[in-house]
Order: sequence, then C-alpha cells, then structure tokens
Amino acid sequence: MKHSVNRPTTPDEDVADAYEKDELTLRESINTKMVESGEKENLMELVRDRLVECGWKDEMRIACREHVKKKGRKDVTVDELIRVITPKGRASVPDSVKEELLNRIQNFIVSAAP
Amino acid sequence: MSARISFLKNPDPCNHLSDYKLRYGTDGYKSFQKLFRCFNDGRTKIKPQEIEIPRCSYCSVYHRRLYICLICRSISCSSHILSHTQSNKGHDIAIDVERSELYCCSCIDQVYDPEFDEVVVSKQLIGLCMSVKSGADVVAVRSNKKRRLDSQLIIGSKFLVSSRDRREKWSFPLGLRGLNNLGSTCFMNAVLQALVHAPPLRNFWLSGQHNRDLCPRRSMGLLCLPCDLDLIFSAMFSGDRTPYSPAHLLYSWWKHSTNLATYEQQDSHEFFISLLDCIHENEGKSKCLYKDHEECQCITHRAFSGLLRSDVTCSTCGSTSTTYDPFIDISLTLDSAKGLSPADCRKNRNSGEPSVNAPMPTLSGCLDFFTRPEKLGPDQKLNCQSCGEKRESSKQMSIRRLPLLLCLHVKRFEHSLTRKTSRKIDSYLQYPFRLNMSPYLSSSIIGKRFGNRIFAFDGEGEYDGSSSSSSSAEFEIFAVVTHSGMMASGHYVTYLRLKGLWYRCDDAWINEVEEEVVRGCECYMLFYAQERVIQKAHKELSYQVISMADAFPFADC
Ligand SMILES: [Zn+2]
Ligand SMILES: [Zn+2]
Ligand SMILES: [Zn+2]
Ligand SMILES: [Zn+2]
Ligand SMILES: [Zn+2]
Ligand SMILES: [Zn+2]
Repeated sequence: MKHSVNRPTTPDEDVADAYEKDELTLRESINTKMVESGEKENLMELVRDRLVECGWKDEMRIACREHVKKKGRKDVTVDELIRVITPKGRASVPDSVKEELLNRIQNFIVSAAP
Repeated sequence: MSARISFLKNPDPCNHLSDYKLRYGTDGYKSFQKLFRCFNDGRTKIKPQEIEIPRCSYCSVYHRRLYICLICRSISCSSHILSHTQSNKGHDIAIDVERSELYCCSCIDQVYDPEFDEVVVSKQLIGLCMSVKSGADVVAVRSNKKRRLDSQLIIGSKFLVSSRDRREKWSFPLGLRGLNNLGSTCFMNAVLQALVHAPPLRNFWLSGQHNRDLCPRRSMGLLCLPCDLDLIFSAMFSGDRTPYSPAHLLYSWWKHSTNLATYEQQDSHEFFISLLDCIHENEGKSKCLYKDHEECQCITHRAFSGLLRSDVTCSTCGSTSTTYDPFIDISLTLDSAKGLSPADCRKNRNSGEPSVNAPMPTLSGCLDFFTRPEKLGPDQKLNCQSCGEKRESSKQMSIRRLPLLLCLHVKRFEHSLTRKTSRKIDSYLQYPFRLNMSPYLSSSIIGKRFGNRIFAFDGEGEYDGSSSSSSSAEFEIFAVVTHSGMMASGHYVTYLRLKGLWYRCDDAWINEVEEEVVRGCECYMLFYAQERVIQKAHKELSYQVISMADAFPFADC
C-alpha cells in the first residue's frame, strides 16, 4: 500500500479506506455486469410487478394523495413528495418481495462468477 | 358507459421552462430523440451513447436519481443538480434520465410540456418503425410487405409453418406473442390478446378479408382500424416471438377517440366497446347498407352481436310489451353485499371453517340476477296499452339470440356521478370453463314464467329455431381479462386458452399456467365462444395449418 509522503501515516484509517474502495469496486462491477446482461432491467420489472400485485403501489399513491391534500395542491413539489414518501415506501416493501429479489441477485452473481 | 375518473389538464409551465421554450423552441427536445430508449413496459429512458452507465458528473454516483441538462447535456445527481444550475446560468431545465420527464432545477419540481411528451411518444412510434412521419413510412411499408408474404404462406396454402418457427425455443401455439406496453397500455394489450385469439376474428383477418394493401380507406389516406388490426394479426401469426408493439393501432385509436386520449390508464371494457365500434364503423358501411331491423354484417356484429329480449308486464292487467335490442356484450352486476374478497376466501380455507353464511358469488348467480323479474320503481311507470293508464310494472330480460362469441363483463368499477366517487369491487367470482346458456334464453325464461304454454312464446320458435336449440347454447371459455390492484393504478392481464392449455399474457411476457391460477384470478371480462367454434379452432391449431376453406367460418353459421 502506497502512502503519500507528506501525510502522517494513519494506518487504521487507510485500511478502512481501502476496504471501502474494494467494496465499492465490487458493487460497481456487479452493477456493470447486471446492466450489460439486461438482468438489471429484468429485476426492476420484477420488482415493479410485485409492488403492484401486493398493493404497495396503491398504498404509495394514497400516501402521496394525502400529503398533497394536506399541504395544498399548489405547494407540493415532486422533490418534496419523494423526500416525504421514500422512507415510508422503503419501510413498507414486503419481506417476500425483498427475499425474492435477493435470491435472484444471488443466483445472478453465482451464475456470472468466472 | 361510465364516465372517466378525471381528465388531465396540462399545468402551466414555470417561468424557466417558458424562457427555455422562447429561446430554443422544441429543437432541444428533438435533439434528444436519438438518446431515448423505449422499454417493454412503456417507460422511456435516456441513454447517452458514449457512456454505458450514466453517472453524476460531480460525484460519479450512478444509483441515485439522475438528470441530464437540456442545454449542455451534463449529468447530475439529485444532490448536485442545484449546483449545476447555480454555476451555469440558464441551465434550468433537465430531463430525468430514468423516466424521460422534464425537471426544473430552479423550481425543484417536475414540469410538463405536451410538446416534450409528443417527442417521447413519437420516438416510441418511430422505434417501432411505424412513424407518423413520411420518411419512416417507406420502411414500414417495406417490412409490412414481407410480413404479409409470411402470413400468406401460412394461410394460403397447406404448408406447415416454416421450419424456422419449429426451431423456435418456445413450443407455444402459433399466434402467441407478447405485446409491448406503450405507456399504461396494458388495458389495450389485454383486449387485443383476447381478440387476436377469437377464432372468427382470426380467420377473418388471416384470410385477408380486410387487406391493408387493398383497403380503399387506407389508400385514400384515411385512418382505418381494421387495417391496423390486419397488421397486428399478421405480426402475431408471423412466427416471430419477440414482443410486438401495437403502436399503429394505439395511434389510430387515439385519433379516433380524441376525447379519451390521455396518458392515464384506461378501462379495458371501454376500450373493447370502442374498438369494436370503430371496426363496425370502418368495416360495416362499405359492405352493407343495413336498415334499422336488418342485422349488420360487419365482423364485429357477425362475431359478437346477440339479441336481448325485454318484457315489461303491467302489474294490474298482466299484459306484456316486448322489445328486442341487439347487444355486443352483457354487463353483469357483482352482488357486492355477499361478495368475498380473495383474501377472505383464503382466510376461510386456512381456518378450515366452512363458509356457510357467505356464499361465493358465481357467474350463474350473476346471470340469474340479470334475468330475474325486476319490479320497476314508481318513477318508471308503464304506459299500459290495455289499461290505457300509467301502471306499475315489472321487467324481465332474457336472451333471444346468442352470439357466436359471448363477452361477459363483470362490473367491478362503480362510478357515482353525484358523489363524484369511484370504487372497485374486488370480490372473487367463480366462473365455469364450460357454460350452458340455455337457462337464460328467452324460450326458457318465458317458458318458466308462463308454465310452458305455447301462446306465451310469442313466436319464439319460429324466427330462428336453430339458434335457441340447446346445442348452440353450449359455450367454452377462450380468454379471461383480469384486473388486479386498484382502479387507476391497477394492471390488466389476459389468460388465453389454446388447445386446452392456459397461457398468461402480461404485456410482453407470456407463460403457460395451471388451470388453478386462472380459476383464482380476479376476472373482469370473460370471453366464451360457441362450443363448435372452439372445436373447429382446436382442430385448425393442432395441424398448425389454416387452409383457405377453413378460413370462412360463417359459411355454415
Ligand atoms: Zn452527484
Ligand atoms: Zn447544463
Ligand atoms: Zn422553473
Ligand atoms: Zn382498411
Ligand atoms: Zn356492424
Ligand atoms: Zn295494464
């Protein structure tokens, strides 16, 4: 591992940095593979379908409507809606959907591994 | 039919968008057309050619919401888009990369411009090589000619399907092909799948009875929906299994029913009715000048039209006045009070309790309800001919003549115009794959009412005995359009039955499913065909050959 000459050595921090960097590149290379193979599109389609089927989309729609009603139609922006609704949305994705997605991703990684 | 839930009005543009439009017009939008990539489910993304995965030019993040500047085309994530605008004067408007929607960085909000949407939609059309523009038309015509040749090979001669198709990895029956979603168009795809696999319609178009190369309407440059269907039929039966985009039809239908044309989700049933209406309009006039009482001979009416009888009986003197009305489909009321949602049914099954007190709604129950004698309210008094006075009365419906194809529409959407509310009834409805319609025929209904006395039949037997005979009252199901989710945001999927097997058609995706899946679905429209129609179609499909002789189903009907 190379250290810059001017900087005092702080080994702990650097190790953590490097580790994070590795993580990032791994995540990136998985993402690249997924995009290239079209699997990412497939997964997004799958999630979209599942979220419609289980009523999640309806739930979010209602939550958005209520927020708009509360704040008044004129005073809501899309950005604000995203900010307010996203935590609710993330929290209410059913475990079964997450599990299915995780399985698919795991399968993909196994099958794509050299 | 039911009123639409809301009509979309375009919001006013913000000052930044107005400024941009003043300076650049729509040229900026058009320059992005090359970068749009359209997807199966109707979304359009932006994909800058040079870069494989778009990233924020400030922090190179790729998994956040990304925007591409309309002026300089640099990409920024949602946290850096503001600094891009602040450091570059006039760079206010950007496009959401994942969604191809306009965004104003200064207002921190989405903005709308119908002219931008038009550019996106026309890209979808161009991408499908059926543009509204003349340049692309040439290409479209050329590929049409080839397609037509392919389909003629299938229909015109006794050739088996070309060997290329048999090598296809799918062993699905010919004609099964996914339909791309062009932006909330599953309502249309669901109906098209059912119609494409309706044997009389299939035979009509595949045998070239409305040929788009010979159509006078088309040659005069008029929109012609039967021509668009001709294109769809030959594409579906071309042997190509990659999902097809029915953009041409969507475009014509938009033009035809401009008052309905919004990007919002439409109702499958409304689309079905309006499409059949368009076909009748385009197809019927040229062929038959029908008088009031004569039957129209267009393909819509030959396939779907039946006759309803309605008897209104004076409660005082018992005299009855009878009227006949043609119908294309029958809308059935789901008796909502007794309805169970699919979730309730599951609960009952799990707890093992017999659901005695809540009977499952059935199709025969709905049909019984449809044909029950119904006391008319005091506001609907009958002007009785024999009493010479306004009297209370009762009304009863029955089916005088069954159609070749019977479409039953389950009223799941309730619109209240006075309260301006709409709701969906999502109770489960049990329906049979084989349906005997004879209990609902006028002969049975009137017979029951009058104890089978001959006088009461009022000529029921004489005017076409054959169609009320029990043999043609046997129907078999061939398609089910289902609706899942809530009213506006839900999704339409069609189940098709071909050669005894069921297939799920969900926009671009098709897969074989078990009977149980179909029985458990939230049916919205049920398509039945007379038993002999199905048997004949079955035979045709099992040889995968449609000869010219078999292609005229009406010779013996
Ligand atoms: Zn950034
Ligand atoms: Zn810029
Ligand atoms: Zn603005
Ligand atoms: Zn035509
Ligand atoms: Zn007609
Ligand atoms: Zn009377």
